[in-house]
Amino acid sequence: MDKSDSELIEATLAGNVAAWETLVRRHEARVYNLGLRLLQDPDDALDLVQEVFLGVYRNLARFRGESQFSTWLFRVVHNKAIDLIRRRQAGPVLESGLEEFPEPVQDEADPQFQYLENEQNRQISQFMSRLSTTQRVIVELKVFQSLTFEEIAALQNIPVNTAKTRFYAALRSLKTMMEKQS
Amino acid sequence: MSCPRIALSVADHFDDSLTPSQRQELEQHLASCAECRQEIAQLQDIPAQLRNWQDMAVPAWDRKPQARHVLARGSLPLRRRADSWRKAANWLPLAASMVLAVAVVTQTRLNVTDDGWSLSFGGAAPSVTSAPALDVAQLNALLQSHAEVQQAATRQWVEAALRAHGETTAENLMQWVNYIEQQRQQDVQRMEAGFQQLLDRDFQTVDSVRQLASYVMYQELP
Repeated sequence: MDKSDSELIEATLAGNVAAWETLVRRHEARVYNLGLRLLQDPDDALDLVQEVFLGVYRNLARFRGESQFSTWLFRVVHNKAIDLIRRRQAGPVLESGLEEFPEPVQDEADPQFQYLENEQNRQISQFMSRLSTTQRVIVELKVFQSLTFEEIAALQNIPVNTAKTRFYAALRSLKTMMEKQS
Repeated sequence: MSCPRIALSVADHFDDSLTPSQRQELEQHLASCAECRQEIAQLQDIPAQLRNWQDMAVPAWDRKPQARHVLARGSLPLRRRADSWRKAANWLPLAASMVLAVAVVTQTRLNVTDDGWSLSFGGAAPSVTSAPALDVAQLNALLQSHAEVQQAATRQWVEAALRAHGETTAENLMQWVNYIEQQRQQDVQRMEAGFQQLLDRDFQTVDSVRQLASYVMYQELP
């Protein structure tokens, strides 16, 4: 029977390297795919995975089990992802609220997404890349991570209604893109 | 005219965490607002389309190095505490100097009597309160002697503090000098060893050439 996250953490803290690897393998795909959708680059996504688990590892002794490990992990993932996006864009992102960033001009054969063999993934990535950063993050949190608006608001330190408004604006943008595509 | 709560209606529609009363409120609004209903109908499929994303496998990466430094729970705080004490110790001479400087500037005095102890600033105040019956001349003389004693004492404190601070700094400097000297000696030894190896190799090469030359000469002889 598979060990729980808490058991793996205890074993890791006791020096069991295999337990740490098991814990990482259990959660890394979620982090990596989030990175692909948010950062639009496989190398950046892998950077995110490595930074996240390095950060988690360094702070593992602080995890007291009051919340689920996956919840705690996701908070780290969110913060690291925002940090990476900021570094890539070299400018403020989330403070500016609904500020729109210039949409990259891309066509269907954009080589940027050739690493995605799956056609659906490629299309979704293109749509996501054309969203502003704030909208992309909110779609990721709501659609792919299934967070509630209260959780999103708490994570991003914004009012709940702001989170809802951003989500609506993102859906509207996606709808327009999909209509143009078809 | 656009419905003012269209964004909230759409967002709430996709929110599975609505309470029954919130859900009922939304339904009531949708029943009377064609615009919100239409908008939800238009956007309904988008999240489902996005969820068609197929998770991709994570490329190979080294998970082990992070785990090499695994510390047992409890050891990390101890190490941090040790670090913080070490850092604090570096500031001790400066802190002591600052305290003494403040004491000098404010003429701080510690008065210990049978009733307990008291701290006074400015030097003259305790004398006034402790000898109210003295005349002005006596008081001035007393104050003068107190001031001299106090100045001598504070001078000693400052000198001692400066000496301690200087010794600490000199010790640190000496440690650096010793360290740099050791490094320099090691570098010289390494260079000498490398040079020796080069020389040895050169000698070997010369020997080889000599052997080759003698062999060639031997071959050329009839």
